Amino acid sequence: MVAVFAQASGNVFLSKGMKSIFATPMAEGLSLSTALQAAGSPSIWLGIVLSILFFILFMTALSWADLSLVLPGISAEVIVNVAFANYFLMEPVSPARWAGTLFVAIGVILVLRSGRKPDKLCRMEKKPPDRPCR
Amino acid sequence: MKTAILLAIIVLADSAGDVLLTRGMKQVGEVTTIALKPLLRILRKAARNRNVVMALFFMAIYFFGFLALLSWADLSLAFPATTLVYVVSTLGAKFILKETVTLERWAGILLVCLGVALTSLP
Repeated sequence: MVAVFAQASGNVFLSKGMKSIFATPMAEGLSLSTALQAAGSPSIWLGIVLSILFFILFMTALSWADLSLVLPGISAEVIVNVAFANYFLMEPVSPARWAGTLFVAIGVILVLRSGRKPDKLCRMEKKPPDRPCR
Repeated sequence: MKTAILLAIIVLADSAGDVLLTRGMKQVGEVTTIALKPLLRILRKAARNRNVVMALFFMAIYFFGFLALLSWADLSLAFPATTLVYVVSTLGAKFILKETVTLERWAGILLVCLGVALTSLP
């Protein structure tokens, strides 16, 4: 959950930073001066720090759970991204994007539900109570 | 053709990165603390793990490949195509990491793919 919010906030700050740089008349295309401008932008730095935080949390989650659970799970970031882009960056969100967000939400719920399956199977196997499955 | 080849490289590199990072972190061990000192020790252990280092290498290939792709292809084409990573990584998780991927999880992953692709359309 923290990883999802860190990644989404990181994207917002990176997007905000890059847009403010490209909005200035100096910046035309990717050049050294643009890169230097980016390096001086607090939004960019905050975005980079949040992206690093996301990666560390992603690694932590992978140390606990399956890749096939964590990878789709962090795509909940898309939902937060669309909401943040709409709310903080005032970007218009098309019906197709809202529909996509809904699909992601249903997909993430299905994936997270499937993560509970081993417990259920475990209970069905009637393991002795002193030896929990997980 | 150039786009298709680069897309394949990007998807395979990202999936390889995900699979190797998972294998590496399972070898490093579960992160069970939020105290700074043990966390730094785990981070050092992760940085010395061959799988984690190789994962970072593949993720760098993905990152620069994606940047190169964006230099000529539209983001509305490039980004939906990269959602194939979810499918390829899950196949890697199933066949290389021997994870159990249920039908429900597959359905969820395919919905996520479709959803992410839709959100990146203009």
